[in-house]
Amino acid sequence: MAANTYRETVRERVLYNLVFFALLMTVSGLLMKQLSIRQDERIIKDIGLAAMELVGTLIAVFIGVGLVSKEIERRSLYPLLAKPLGRSEFILGKFAGLSFTLLVNIGVMAAGLYLTLAATGRAADPHLLKAVYTIYLGLLVVVALALLFSTLTTSLMAAIGTVIVVVAGHFSDVIRNMRQVAPGTPDWLSRALYYALPNFSNFDLKSRVVHFVPVSSADLGWITAYAAAYIAVVLGLALVVFRSRDLL
Amino acid sequence: MGTAGGSPALEISGLSKSYPTGALHQGRRSALEDLTLSVPRGEVFGYLGPNGSGKTTTLKVVMGLLRADRGGARVLGVPHVERAWRHRAGYLPENPYLYDYLSPDEYLDYTGRLFGMSAPDRRDRSRKVLERVGLAASARVPMRRFSKGMLQRAGLAQALLNDPELVFLDEPMSGLDPIGRHMVKEVILDLRKQGRTVFFSTHILSDAESLCDRVGLLRAGRLVTAGRLDEILRIDVAHLEVLASGVDEALLGRLEGLKGRRPLGERWSLEVEEKSLAPLVRAVHDGGGRILSVQPVRESLEEYFVRAMQSPASDRPWEAA
Repeated sequence: MAANTYRETVRERVLYNLVFFALLMTVSGLLMKQLSIRQDERIIKDIGLAAMELVGTLIAVFIGVGLVSKEIERRSLYPLLAKPLGRSEFILGKFAGLSFTLLVNIGVMAAGLYLTLAATGRAADPHLLKAVYTIYLGLLVVVALALLFSTLTTSLMAAIGTVIVVVAGHFSDVIRNMRQVAPGTPDWLSRALYYALPNFSNFDLKSRVVHFVPVSSADLGWITAYAAAYIAVVLGLALVVFRSRDLL
Repeated sequence: MGTAGGSPALEISGLSKSYPTGALHQGRRSALEDLTLSVPRGEVFGYLGPNGSGKTTTLKVVMGLLRADRGGARVLGVPHVERAWRHRAGYLPENPYLYDYLSPDEYLDYTGRLFGMSAPDRRDRSRKVLERVGLAASARVPMRRFSKGMLQRAGLAQALLNDPELVFLDEPMSGLDPIGRHMVKEVILDLRKQGRTVFFSTHILSDAESLCDRVGLLRAGRLVTAGRLDEILRIDVAHLEVLASGVDEALLGRLEGLKGRRPLGERWSLEVEEKSLAPLVRAVHDGGGRILSVQPVRESLEEYFVRAMQSPASDRPWEAA
């Protein structure tokens, strides 16, 4: 299931377009460096990592939301689920397949970023990989969310739902302090939303890495544990929903 | 009902399924009601019914795609919700959509992995089933280039990949040209020769009539009847077709019990009830005519089907079958 999901995503044209977009962003960083008066490698790193995150998120959302819902809409999973394939394996295989696709893409984009830096005479900075790693963890959380929505509703509604949660997750600090913006908001609501939504700022090491602020192994361990726990809960919900769903 | 070879291939008991209706799912529409059915091993069973009668719902529940409200099924002796029987069964959904970015070769390799087949087995079985369904020449063509009929053939190939003991086919002739339909019939007959069980739904009654050992008729989620074709059709009132010559049309107008008449040149084809045959023969003979032939006309499955589907629920003479 995972291998086939990877094959499916690789054969989707949109994937190549998005990779092309990432390469374009990296190249534009390179051009910017040449055109600007006083630039350094930080701009290239900033643009490269941001493009990586954006492209990865687009892939995770727009491929992820179709992983189950499209299969139901097209009825392509009927012959598969009649075979010795459990619904849980189906969901986990889909997750693994798209995760691998993202790993390959992030890997290619990271390699592109290092090549760009090398082409401009900058030394390879291994710390960049820490930011790349946490970007990848954040993308896995997005995939899990997209899968959950995909088991619940149509591709379109799943895309809308996932985008809302992902965007809200990027503003979790604002949600935590919602009472300052909207004084009438009950405290329990802002707390509940804060803990329920993914806190994507946890995965954002871009600024620290670009500005050479140290990132410890403990930091990485905590971020990994957070991602693992969040993914486990969301995938668990997806399994419960999908296993109880009638496939009309 | 026979159970040769152990348990029946398929046993459905008290199966009910309803679907939610309304925007808020406030109501429920019954799709299957207390369905009980048994299909012995080695039999070709035709599952008949008009659109919306519950044929596909039955198959989906058995396949585990839908959950039953009540009742259940045993497939090859195993409860349908378990996985054990799935290695030994095949399923062709109605209008199958297979991954169109794959070729049949790739798709069969993928589904073969789900069965846990080894790589040489997958290659060998893929080659055989693709040849069987007439897709060997297109084995490496992406299925997005396939016609509906070719997709149906590929769907049949995946249903046969694991050399199943029991094959479920949901409208297998759908979208096929006459050659494709002939191929499917041959596949079904081959399976029967090999002692396999075939459960197929169809609304093409001539196919059911030519292929099935037994049929089941479904109407509005209820099983109207199930049995051998000759048993089902025997109970229906047959009429006789009498071919006569030298008969005066005025004489025919005076005959009682004549259900229909059709001129065939100098001859007449006359439809008559069995009890009215003797008076008819006498009248024709007395009028100087000749009886050329008398043929009993059995009701066709199609006629039976139409009658059964149009009868009010309270009037079910077929239930005697």
